[in-house]
Amino acid sequence: MEELIRIDRLTKVYERGEVLAVNDISFTVKRGEFLVLIGLSGSGKSTLLRCINRLIEPTAGQIVFDGIDVTKASARQLRQLRRRMAMIFQQFNLVKRSSVLTNVLSGRLGYVNPGASAIHKFPKEDLESAFANLERVGIPEQAYKRADELSGGQQQRVGIARALMQRPDLLMADEPVSALDPATAHSVMQYLEQMNQEDGVTVIASLHFLSLARRYGTRILALKDGEIVFEGLPAEIDAAKFKEIYGEEAEEVEVR
Amino acid sequence: MTPQDQYYAGFMSKRPSWTKALRAYRKDLGALIADFVVLIALWGLSSFIWNDLVHGTRDFISVAPWIMLVVCFELALVWESFAVSPGMRLFGRRATDDRNGRAVIGRRFLRVLLLHGLPLFILPILVTTRYIPWQDRLAGFRSVSAAEVPDPRKPWYRTSWMVALAGLAVAMYLASALFTQVDLVKLFTNASATSEIWARIVNPDWSILGLGVRLLIVTLFMAFMATLFGVLVAVPLSFLAARNLAHGIIGRTIYTVLRILMSIVRSIQPFIWAIIFVVWVRTGNAPFAGGLALFVHSVADLTKLYSERLESIDPGPVEAIRSTGANGLQVILYGIVPQIINPYLSFTIYRWDINVRMATIIGLVGGGGIGQRLLQLTRNWVWDQAIVLMLLIMVAVWAMDYSSSRLRERLN
Repeated sequence: MEELIRIDRLTKVYERGEVLAVNDISFTVKRGEFLVLIGLSGSGKSTLLRCINRLIEPTAGQIVFDGIDVTKASARQLRQLRRRMAMIFQQFNLVKRSSVLTNVLSGRLGYVNPGASAIHKFPKEDLESAFANLERVGIPEQAYKRADELSGGQQQRVGIARALMQRPDLLMADEPVSALDPATAHSVMQYLEQMNQEDGVTVIASLHFLSLARRYGTRILALKDGEIVFEGLPAEIDAAKFKEIYGEEAEEVEVR
Repeated sequence: MTPQDQYYAGFMSKRPSWTKALRAYRKDLGALIADFVVLIALWGLSSFIWNDLVHGTRDFISVAPWIMLVVCFELALVWESFAVSPGMRLFGRRATDDRNGRAVIGRRFLRVLLLHGLPLFILPILVTTRYIPWQDRLAGFRSVSAAEVPDPRKPWYRTSWMVALAGLAVAMYLASALFTQVDLVKLFTNASATSEIWARIVNPDWSILGLGVRLLIVTLFMAFMATLFGVLVAVPLSFLAARNLAHGIIGRTIYTVLRILMSIVRSIQPFIWAIIFVVWVRTGNAPFAGGLALFVHSVADLTKLYSERLESIDPGPVEAIRSTGANGLQVILYGIVPQIINPYLSFTIYRWDINVRMATIIGLVGGGGIGQRLLQLTRNWVWDQAIVLMLLIMVAVWAMDYSSSRLRERLN
């Protein structure tokens, strides 16, 4: 499989050199993979993900996305790159006072005419695909509701629909199910799996629970204090590895 | 060389070690200066009261100034060594002994003595890497960041800070009583002097009603224009004056300058602006001057309200919109505007409400409108017409108040 992302010695230092969030990380992601990042809170998963689309500026290192150096991209190039890497978030990050439809359509902002978008005018095919994507995530009847009227699971589905609107090559999911109950978590994860398998979207997801990581990931990358402590197949994580990643006191919790 | 070494050389030690020492030193010095200022203020106030009560003179410093400076400096040193002074709270410093325990009284005395040579030893402190000032080193005393030591839980009213504050409150109370020249005897015996005013007020002269309504409309328009143009200026300014949107050196500079400028403009009362503009644009068209005054004050006030609201928006949606590849304008329109539109409207209505009330007051200093006429009438002792205008103002203010609160309720 051809490689989609190559990350080369990525480093992010916060607070004028006092906190090292990501420390000299290198890895590659192949097209079509479902890569799961695991690790404790504060281990650098979120920072790593946000460095990839430069929501956070990396301090050093290189990120190459489909042959293009993201770290050196101009503002315009960066916007074009971001269209191809969709992102969903732990807290869903919907615009709460806007309608579900507007939230979904905002996934097209990178593509549409900026002037037309200023007056909330989107092309007809975008509107159609917005409804199609809402249909796909199972909430077509919620389109005209305000986003904050929806339940947590529904909000995350709106987030997925927004990501789908971008027709991305890469989907980054920053702890997409941490704020959801186990049953809803699985249904959301299944949408990600579906995107991965049916649309061929490469997925990088950070997850809290190892059981979810084992169930959905094709490859696992474990971070601890900003460094990679494990890289390999889900099956390779045994009790010893687990203790190394999560610390001696940790015990594995199952999510079914 | 491992890559780590490279990064550490590049990023981890950007700040030389002496800057840390300097920072700690700066905080101690800042605390001392703050206490010094507090004490001088206390001195001035209490001295003023004393002089006024005892000698009947108005004087803030009755001794030679250098005596006051020296005494205040000494008191500041004592305060910082024996208690937690306001300056130490402000800069987050606490005093401990060399093992982060409670310092004994002997050490505290010693430190006060040693602190006298403070300025002589600044340079050696700058070059030491582990910062312990010489006076603390000798006294076995340490001034550390407040985060490092547990706060001994004293009840709030027993802290030296609160005692000083209570003293200040009593002093302020006495001072204000003196300044305003309280005369209770007159208050209770001289009420009959106003009887003529009351007599005329109960017999309103309604012939002025038509003119009054016209003037009221002028005043309302004055408030409306001031609000409208104020909003047009304040909305863009608020984006520049929001801390979370100020990036880079240029952004930060604009933010700081705007915030300072706006707080200065805001602290000058609208009726003072009105006086300034009456002189500035004396065109015989006084409502213009009043409108300008309201406009300037509205811009400053709204910019503050708006930008504070901007600072409290949820950064999540903004991040999400950015991640779709949207440009700056789209991020504002889709990520920020939906979050702020209702509060902005609410603030605007609130400000219009204020402007209507202010517009009548501004008239009193020559800013035009109904207020100006009201002032003329009261000066000429035409209370029977003045009361009609007052009633009109009352109705207008009440109507604005009521409708604005109803509107704002619906927005929230």
